[in-house]
Amino acid sequence: MNQGTVVELQQQVEQQQEQALIIAAQQGDRGAYRQLYERYLGQVFALALRLTGNNSFAEDATQEVFIQLWQSLHRFSGDSKFSTWLHRVTANVTVSYMRRQKNWLQRTFGLESANEADLVATNVSATNELDQYIQRLPERARLVFVLHAVEGYRHEEISQMTSMAVGSSKAQFHRAKKLLREWMSHD
Amino acid sequence: MTKPNFEQNLEQQLQALPQEQQPQRDLWQGIEHALDHRAELSDGEQANANVLPSNITSKSSRPLQSKVWLASAASIVMVAMLAWFGGQQYSHYQMRIESEQFIATLSDNYLSQKDMLLVQFKGKPAFTDNWQDQLQELEDAAKAIHEALQHDPRNPTLLKMLKSIYQQQLQLIERVHVPRLAQI
Repeated sequence: MNQGTVVELQQQVEQQQEQALIIAAQQGDRGAYRQLYERYLGQVFALALRLTGNNSFAEDATQEVFIQLWQSLHRFSGDSKFSTWLHRVTANVTVSYMRRQKNWLQRTFGLESANEADLVATNVSATNELDQYIQRLPERARLVFVLHAVEGYRHEEISQMTSMAVGSSKAQFHRAKKLLREWMSHD
Repeated sequence: MTKPNFEQNLEQQLQALPQEQQPQRDLWQGIEHALDHRAELSDGEQANANVLPSNITSKSSRPLQSKVWLASAASIVMVAMLAWFGGQQYSHYQMRIESEQFIATLSDNYLSQKDMLLVQFKGKPAFTDNWQDQLQELEDAAKAIHEALQHDPRNPTLLKMLKSIYQQQLQLIERVHVPRLAQI
């Protein structure tokens, strides 16, 4: 048996295990759900961290993703890959979390401090060079860049997720790239 | 960096981005707590939805039918009210967690800025002798606000006060170490 076949077999076994975990979790098995959580925590947190640019917010958003996922797991039909579906859930929940957080900050501290979330966006320790630049981007530019360039969403989809016009999404993407080019040239 | 070079470099870096990153603290405990809380709320709804005796579904007489109808309507209203109340409770719980997270972030930011300033001005002469006493007084005030926030974490006045106290502390450290003329 060659190495390629062994790898394929391993992947098949892993897929079957994952399928079994999803079905068990859909039927209310908390242990199976925890195993899914452990399997996908790193991916969910990485995306939440890129979107929020802040450790505490990302941890909070990750918890919210897994709380909401438990409620909506029955909607996963298996038509797409679970990881693809989970990424979309993560992006939607995190964007909505950020909107809520910002609204609350605006209500509490007024317009002057409405960008508190941006203010604390530097409070992270990214090791990857591009991640460090992404975290320096202004919030809207960061959101669009991560969703479009990293996650592969179209501007029309981003527009639906973030309630920003398609044109604004494109403009924010160009803004992000301009800033990145500037920083990458200087640093 | 030329545009083609940048595009190529960016593409390479995008491909090399790590797919996973681990949080610094255990998140499962909070998730499990929230799931248990939700489960308790739904159990409560379920229990209240099952208050009707089983014989009430009998079709023997009209008065009984109207009782069935009334009881069903009442149970629907009760379930709707409980669902609404449950939702309110859950969202209140979520908001409380978010608020506590925000307070923690605010405090962490303040502490790191304060540490940075203290390191920056270490060994430099201060313009008043009792600045550390003043700092301690503000520290005590912040502590008292923190305690009050534990009971009411979303109180906007308390949050504003805490933020203001933190700002005053940072300003105090700066002002006593930087000559007034240098600040202008």
